[in-house]
Amino acid sequence: MTTELAPEPTATHTSTTGAEQARAAKMKERRQVWTWRIAGYAFFLGLWEFASGRLMDETLLPGPTTVFRTFGELWSTGEVPGAFATTLTRIGIGFTIAFVVGSLIGVLMQNRWLNGFFRDAVTVGVTTPGLIWALLTAIIFGNRPAGPLIAIVVTTFAIITVNVAEGIKSLPKDLIDMGKSFNVGVLRRNRHIVIPHLAPFIFTGVRFGFSIAWKVTVLTEVFAASKGIGFEMRTATQLFRLDEFLTWILAFYVLALFLEKVVLERIERRFFAWRGELKS
Amino acid sequence: MTAVLDRPNAPAPAPRKPKRSVGRFLRSSLSGRLTFPLVVLATWLLSIQLVTAIWPFTVDVLPTPWQVGEFMWGEIRGDTLAPYNLYETFGISLRRLAVGMAIAIALGTVIGVAMGLSKSVNAFFNDWVVAILAMPNLAWALFASLAFGFGNTGPILTVVLTGIPFVIINVREGVRNTPSDLFDMARAFDVPRRDVIRHVLIPSLMPFLFAASRYAFALGWKGLVVAEVFGGQDGAGWTIKFWYDAHRAHGVVGYALFFVIFALVFEKFMFDQLSKRLFKWRPEVNGPEVVEQAFDPAAQAAAAGSSTTSAALESINQTTLGPPTEREPREAETRSKNDG
Repeated sequence: MTTELAPEPTATHTSTTGAEQARAAKMKERRQVWTWRIAGYAFFLGLWEFASGRLMDETLLPGPTTVFRTFGELWSTGEVPGAFATTLTRIGIGFTIAFVVGSLIGVLMQNRWLNGFFRDAVTVGVTTPGLIWALLTAIIFGNRPAGPLIAIVVTTFAIITVNVAEGIKSLPKDLIDMGKSFNVGVLRRNRHIVIPHLAPFIFTGVRFGFSIAWKVTVLTEVFAASKGIGFEMRTATQLFRLDEFLTWILAFYVLALFLEKVVLERIERRFFAWRGELKS
Repeated sequence: MTAVLDRPNAPAPAPRKPKRSVGRFLRSSLSGRLTFPLVVLATWLLSIQLVTAIWPFTVDVLPTPWQVGEFMWGEIRGDTLAPYNLYETFGISLRRLAVGMAIAIALGTVIGVAMGLSKSVNAFFNDWVVAILAMPNLAWALFASLAFGFGNTGPILTVVLTGIPFVIINVREGVRNTPSDLFDMARAFDVPRRDVIRHVLIPSLMPFLFAASRYAFALGWKGLVVAEVFGGQDGAGWTIKFWYDAHRAHGVVGYALFFVIFALVFEKFMFDQLSKRLFKWRPEVNGPEVVEQAFDPAAQAAAAGSSTTSAALESINQTTLGPPTEREPREAETRSKNDG
């Protein structure tokens, strides 16, 4: 094998050997990166497992194996899908409202007066801790479903507003002007210039917004809900069952990350499939 | 109307001027800004009227603005029913925040520099940094309060854990962005290592570190408040929970307003002043004016809007999309440069 392969590169150009070498170096580097990555996982999971029961009491810090076992137990009781569904519906409704409100304000903020009007609202929305809204809505609405929804909307809308406003501010004015002077209709102009330009900004807003929305939802559920992940977490902490608490939060965390990184990203990639062609 | 009225005195511009400036003021963004609190106040009062008309039993839950104002004035004078007054409360929380952030910055800088210099170290830590960043601070807060009990450890640990990913990510970016030609030149001219670190590495890291501490402050503060709610015996978070448990809605609203004021004062005055002083030697540090960045929409927005908002957005951007070098080119347009 090697004897057959060896003369080939020398026979052809030296550049192929260079490319091959580069590829080999890249492969080696990739292998090295992956080794370190796996080492990282092993180290941190090992540290966690080691710490539970040795550095700290096992009831205070349940290890990863305990968490897995507890997840199996919780799953067999059948309360996991119900709690997930409750929280996810809440996020869905709240985030949809936040998205509509946020983009509406983003559009309105193009006006100078309204820009001043909403500016402080956006600043407050970005800087105020979600906890405050969770407590406020809990004290005002109690266990009614409106409380968590309002908290989600108030904490999330600003992120979407900022992104939409940024997108509109940077619309390609020359393209729109050209469309106007060539008598392109409003609908087609929006369809082919405005929407494709705004889409990346909106997607960024949605992704940030979602990452904030699910955290706030869980937080509000801790204070004012009788169902959902947050409620289960509160119950677990009040009973001092850290294993159940960690299982609930980690399970939902994994689901949220999956939605955020895989599902949203895939939708985005499909949406922007045409861009790749454009570049090449 | 005004045009018709104005025409006869057109030669005398003096009386026309105030009228026009009033009109301009009414359309300016400042007047909109001033209108906002009035509208909020009106909505507040109106919703109280509405709610009391529909459900009369919720009267004491919805506080009036006057109650809140009275409460806040009492707190400002140091006259309170809670065990600690406003200044003690925020002092305790600030001390915890400072300790937590000092640990986060020290540890994060070491890890961040190592990650920026070596690909292997980067691979080792990267996924875990992202994982810690995506974890809700509620999880840290509840866990720390259960595991470490009431006291300082839980809240400080929460601050460290919420703040450290931002420090690491920013420092890593800073190291990757250090001017390599300056290092080459230093090597060619035999500049001692200590001088290189002092005069090249640290100054070029400064803006990134500064941006990092800014996000770490904003997010660490949010984490700290949640941690104090669950595992504190004092501090800002604990006090708002105190009023919540006492079912005094005006206390909760009043404290919420203090939180907003506190965050704004810190962001706008302290960090802005500090950045002005720290980067006096660098005229171009307030990035967005630089010509090549003017084409960047996000940078323009950063120049126009509040810098914190876009700074926070940028850090989220970085972590959700990965560091700029690994991002797809189309993402570049939504990204602004890191504060410097």
